[in-house]
Amino acid sequence: MKYIATVKDQEYTIEIDADRGILIDGRPQEVDFRRLPAGGVTSLLMNHRSVAAVVEERSDHWEVLIEGELYSVQVQDERAYRLGRMRTTGMSVDGEAIVASPMPGIIVAVPVAVGDVVQRGQKVVILESMKMENELRAPCDGVVTHIHVSAGASVEKDQPLVGISQEHDEA
Amino acid sequence: MLRDDGLLVQKFDKLLIANRGEIAMRILRAARELGIATVAVYSDADRNAPHVRFADEAYHIGPPAARDSYLVMDRIIDVAQRSGAGAIHPGYGFLAEREKFAQACADAGIVFVGPPARAIGIMGDKLMARATVMAAGVPVVPGTTPGQTDAEMSAAAREMGFPVLVKAAAGGGGKGMRPVSSAAGLADAFASARREAKAAFGDDTVYIEKMIIEARHIEIQLLADSHGNTIYLGERECSLQRRHQKLIEEAPSFVVDDDLRRRMGEVAVAAARAVNYVNAGTIEFLVDRDKNFYFLEMNTRVQVEHPVTELVTGIDIVQEQLRIARGRRLRLRQEDVVINGWAIECRINAEDPYNSYLPSTGVITSVQLPTGPGVRVDTGVFEGNEISPYYDSMISKLICYGETRGEAVLRMRRALEEYRIMGVKTNIPFHQHMMDSHRFLSGQFDTKFVEDRFSMDDRDTAHALEAALLATLAAHEQNQRAAQLVAPGARDTSNWKWYSRWERLRR
Repeated sequence: MKYIATVKDQEYTIEIDADRGILIDGRPQEVDFRRLPAGGVTSLLMNHRSVAAVVEERSDHWEVLIEGELYSVQVQDERAYRLGRMRTTGMSVDGEAIVASPMPGIIVAVPVAVGDVVQRGQKVVILESMKMENELRAPCDGVVTHIHVSAGASVEKDQPLVGISQEHDEA
Repeated sequence: MLRDDGLLVQKFDKLLIANRGEIAMRILRAARELGIATVAVYSDADRNAPHVRFADEAYHIGPPAARDSYLVMDRIIDVAQRSGAGAIHPGYGFLAEREKFAQACADAGIVFVGPPARAIGIMGDKLMARATVMAAGVPVVPGTTPGQTDAEMSAAAREMGFPVLVKAAAGGGGKGMRPVSSAAGLADAFASARREAKAAFGDDTVYIEKMIIEARHIEIQLLADSHGNTIYLGERECSLQRRHQKLIEEAPSFVVDDDLRRRMGEVAVAAARAVNYVNAGTIEFLVDRDKNFYFLEMNTRVQVEHPVTELVTGIDIVQEQLRIARGRRLRLRQEDVVINGWAIECRINAEDPYNSYLPSTGVITSVQLPTGPGVRVDTGVFEGNEISPYYDSMISKLICYGETRGEAVLRMRRALEEYRIMGVKTNIPFHQHMMDSHRFLSGQFDTKFVEDRFSMDDRDTAHALEAALLATLAAHEQNQRAAQLVAPGARDTSNWKWYSRWERLRR
């Protein structure tokens, strides 16, 4: 079975083969993997190097915690991987990037208007939650196409707030 | 004994803890050690919280939102009366610095474990606090009086020179506070500080203060009994903050020597005496690069970061609070307080250091605490605990002790690696990155360091390959198991092992 695992922007091809064992990017590795019953810990011995982790499944990815660092891993078999490449992550069908609320809260301000040109990292929504004002920023350069909320609105987790169409590269 | 400034001290055998989370646990432990019976209160969101189980008795006080539960004074006093609690410990936050609540306790014949109501009132009003401590000879940062018009404040700002800070008169914890670097930014800062102050405190009065450049935030822990004895327990270095929220604290401070400690300590004692202070309290100072120090404010309660002082002085501050509230004399004189070793605290928050420190909500699916020599964890969360938007995002405090600062840092690195929390994102990588940074190791930082000169972008995350492999193996195992449901009788594959030729990577 061949899988493609994606961490951040890095892709690893991992083969699990009944005869040849485990191959990472084509190279065989000596791997001993145990999910321990206590406390959800997973122990990995990879070429005798010991790594302890917590591995948990989320709706569309896996979360792996190693030495304080949380890795978000997409695991796909070859077929799903090829299908997935046809879509661009974070974009809706018409190429609009959506800024969604990361948590429930109240909108304090929306300092942009439809038609504004925004740059990646620019403040587009101020959301109050957990007793703090949080700044939500544009994920890409582009033009504001939709504003779904206004100041004072209560929003749920994952609720779309602002749509930004990606600027076309005129090169 | 009931003083006319609202202080009631007398013996009690049962204590109500009007708080939740790690500080409720901390207070419960101190009370238990002293043989005092305990009463917890909880909102709908906290029925399963450890403080409910840890206490001898527990009473429901309302829905999750703090304003409908932990902030409802009458309900908490009613629980104290129904349960026969002779005292209330407010912890920090919630009702800890409400003059009205301290007074209401005293009026009901209940000991408020904290200062006299009047002292809370004076120190809680930044402008009154300033005037009071100035009269006692305490140095303060230049600034305006409250209630001035925007035009008057703008003129004052130009006169004292930028940068300045716009601050809420009723503020605290950085809320309603805005730095302004030029006259052009004043109008925006007035508006947003007022908006935040109005929402947080119901009072939108603001004022202006000169901003001290390269400032360190260093505070002095005080203990005062009701017999007129006030001592200082040394300093805490709290300069590592983000948007005025402290993230890492240590004791002692890299820049404080014996002479500065004594001078700051004596000034802090004078500030406390100016309001006839009783119980534990903290005087916060700004210290500039020439080691001039200025009174910032007094926190009239136990502080989040009190454990670092406990570790270097050996004094249990929460137990001392309870003793003082029972009317006992301090057992320590100033000369008995000795600073030994070094302690560092990291606040573990449910927030994503890789994404603008956005708070992360969700259910904690697993927790494994670091242990071993020199490690202390003060926590109130548990597996299955929902980190909700109702309360603040602090999950726990990780405190490490060493003979030297270097030893404490090495312990902290080790403990951060051991600490496993799943279900929400945490700022543990931020702390790890800080513990690795040269600026932190050499003690060269000020209150702006985290915001202006510290980035997670250069963090090297070394285990991406292992993470990819682990997730893939887990996914594969799950696929296999699903296949077995279709083909029953196949062997158990919960533990499995592959061998293959070990090949050294050749590049």
